[in-house]
Amino acid sequence: MTSITLGQYFPGNSLLHRLDPRFKIVLAVLYITASFLCKSIWSFAALALSAVVLILISRIPPSFVLRGLRPILFIMLFTVVLNVFLTRGETLLIDFWIIHIYLEGVLTALSMVLRITVIIIGTGMFLTYTTTPIALTDGIERLFSPLKVFHLPVHEFAMMMTIALRFIPILIEETEKIMAAQKARGADFSTGSLMQRAKALIPILVPLFVSAFRRADELAVAMECRCYRGGEGRTRMTVLHATAADWVMLAAMILFGAVLLLINRFAPGFAL
Amino acid sequence: MNTLQLEHISYLYSAGTPYEMRALDDVSLTIRGGTVTGLIGHTGSGKSTLVQLLNGLNRPTAGRVLIDGEDIWEKPKEIARLRYRVGLVMQYPEYQLFEETVRADIAYGPKNMGLSTEEIEARVLEAAEFAGISRDMLDQSPFDLSGGQKRRAAIAGIMAMRPEVLVLDEPAAGLDPQGREEILGGIRAYREKSGSTVIIVSHSMEDMARYCDELIVMANAKLLMQGSCEEIFSHPEELAAVGLDVPQITRVAELLRQRGLPLPESIYTVEQAAAALRQLMGGVGR
Repeated sequence: MTSITLGQYFPGNSLLHRLDPRFKIVLAVLYITASFLCKSIWSFAALALSAVVLILISRIPPSFVLRGLRPILFIMLFTVVLNVFLTRGETLLIDFWIIHIYLEGVLTALSMVLRITVIIIGTGMFLTYTTTPIALTDGIERLFSPLKVFHLPVHEFAMMMTIALRFIPILIEETEKIMAAQKARGADFSTGSLMQRAKALIPILVPLFVSAFRRADELAVAMECRCYRGGEGRTRMTVLHATAADWVMLAAMILFGAVLLLINRFAPGFAL
Repeated sequence: MNTLQLEHISYLYSAGTPYEMRALDDVSLTIRGGTVTGLIGHTGSGKSTLVQLLNGLNRPTAGRVLIDGEDIWEKPKEIARLRYRVGLVMQYPEYQLFEETVRADIAYGPKNMGLSTEEIEARVLEAAEFAGISRDMLDQSPFDLSGGQKRRAAIAGIMAMRPEVLVLDEPAAGLDPQGREEILGGIRAYREKSGSTVIIVSHSMEDMARYCDELIVMANAKLLMQGSCEEIFSHPEELAAVGLDVPQITRVAELLRQRGLPLPESIYTVEQAAAALRQLMGGVGR
């Protein structure tokens, strides 16, 4: 259970790792938008190619990236089944009893799968795989700081996220310890009816909540002892600086979107 | 009876991953039934891993754990039953309390054993007495107790299962001297009444010298020494080499000896030192 890592940060020093987290968030959003611009088979091909290029730049083993897709396999399968069987079109491929499969359905299904895959890989490449959770919250805070004008507690939200992320491994470890202690008293978590199993969780959940509140209390005191009083006038240890590489990547991403639109316009193979 | 044997035990954490770590390396030892055995070693020497092998919370990567000559992993499905025979009190056990009353919390283990209501009640009262939990405390919420009381309530929760082997991982850590005394005294009372084997993990050489018949010294995932307190504490250099020490009073006696006082070499507790000094002074200095 200790192998559970939040997100899937893969330590490295590639171009993608070094980008400013603020730019990476914007890039990820743009990349997702770009994936929805695709309308022809050729723009989809360009999109797939871009995902491969991103993986190569990040120097993260492709097997590691593919493993990250496993959790959404079911969603993809579901999308395929729905689209293949329910989309109505003009070119009938299979017509058997109540099953009617149209070419349009198959194409929609394929494009959906490709789109989901690319979105997952893209956000992974820009965010989860190459950015530490702490850098990510830092980026979010800075990116949304203009919203402070509207009295939105941006700093507080970012601090909450940081603390929540920091506490996840601690709580996992705590859960393991409590489970071991209750097992030593004969607790059984794996047999019995659903109701019995739910009841068996009480001896874990109560101590876990007690300790979580205790830790929260201690953390609050420790923060106050160090004069924490919100984001007002607070300086940072690491100040984010946009570099040339950040601007180049941003320009490249906008160019990529434009190229996709051009492909749609001039090479509309199997246009959807 | 209640003899524990470890045969060539090895234990790896995260085996087969880049994070693989060897916590125990070919450890073989025998803990005689009915004794109080102390397990000492520096932080990360494998003590806590070892105690979690004794009640089957962890399964050794290699080697066998035997209780009265039987391999505990012979029938993996019945490992839960073994946990009633070998009771384990983990570090900081007060954090596992969860019931509404102390009484109900102590009864959790016996209830899991499927005992009758009367039997459970009898065992709760008996365990509470060993652990020094008064009758009126039994009906309080465990979260209203003091730190030391919570610790004792948690230990009572294991004692109520009447384990033949009672294993305690740092039972007195972080308590004041009186709290330590109450807990270790309770453990001694339990052992005298039940005749069980007791294994205590501790960093306090003083407590070890006072309460243990035998000591096991672990260092760097391996067994370093096993023997009586006299045998172990007569090797101060070896202990110091692995970050351990002899009891402070033993060092005081050693320094006094160097200055010419004819004290015996086997002084490990304050009581022994006091007796020896009194004898030297001709019984006058009471």
